[in-house]
Amino acid sequence: MASDELRPLSDIQVAQTREFIAALEQECRTYWDMVEVGDVLSRDLTITPELVILYADAVEDFNPWFEAWTMNNWRSDGESPFGGAIVPPMLLSHFILSVQFDHTKPFAIGSIHTYHDTEILAPVKVGATVRITSTAIDKFEKRGRRYLRHQVEIVDLGSGQPCLRETRDIMSR
Amino acid sequence: MSDSTTNLANVLVTAETPVGTQLQPIKKKALIQLMGSRLWGRFNPNHWDPTYARATGLPGPIQTGEMTSAYLFEMCVNHFGAAMFSNARMQCKYVASTYADEVITTHGVIRDKQATDTGTRFTVDISCDNEAGEVKTVGFVEVTVDNKERAHGE
Repeated sequence: MASDELRPLSDIQVAQTREFIAALEQECRTYWDMVEVGDVLSRDLTITPELVILYADAVEDFNPWFEAWTMNNWRSDGESPFGGAIVPPMLLSHFILSVQFDHTKPFAIGSIHTYHDTEILAPVKVGATVRITSTAIDKFEKRGRRYLRHQVEIVDLGSGQPCLRETRDIMSR
Repeated sequence: MSDSTTNLANVLVTAETPVGTQLQPIKKKALIQLMGSRLWGRFNPNHWDPTYARATGLPGPIQTGEMTSAYLFEMCVNHFGAAMFSNARMQCKYVASTYADEVITTHGVIRDKQATDTGTRFTVDISCDNEAGEVKTVGFVEVTVDNKERAHGE
């Protein structure tokens, strides 16, 4: 299967693609080798209107409750049953990977997310800053494959309240 | 294709909605350009590059599992509205990979409901499959609907 099997690419686009992937693979360790049980990583994320749009556009979710950015008005407060625009909870879940993969090290490409059990505790307003804290709680092998389990808590720093908790598994190369 | 005649207000779940009710599916096509967008799979070529995916033992690029979680959440918001954003739970297992150009359909069936101090707690079995009926994601949602108001907060 070639680089352009699924979408049209010119020679220069193919070369750029191969260069990008080669850069990703440099000094890359497997996720299994990067993480030890007990490792805790935490980062703060400000959820801008534009970030929400990037997320929602790719999954084609056009719920107006998520919109604090529109083409004609740019930024606004938006509207939802909670007042202003709110963050899709699965966006918070999706961004956990940005924390559990230590961003100070080369990214461990080739891992696959296989499971999540998510408690959605409270709505988060677009524009809020949240703290995502991920703790590695287990490493295990099942049917010849290697998995890592994380326990995650996300807190809305404006209110100080937890807004999401999650247990999630990653299958490592 | 004929235009839908679905009355959106009628799909909202209330405390009276019976066990066994099926949620209305939504459909999405797994497009390689979206699978490889920066906020989704760009960081991992397994999600968008055929050559790399095959080198890791996959038949082709696979969609990020969380994209199916997003589809399922959207379906649940269609039926439970604002109730999905607090005191809710969503569990998903990605049991098979989604490949580029597959059309994914979401499914949901109300399995149980129980009266609680704050409303009616529904348990909904959820899943996604492709055009051939091959199941990609399975799980469940728990969500509490206020007994006095419609789920969407009206």
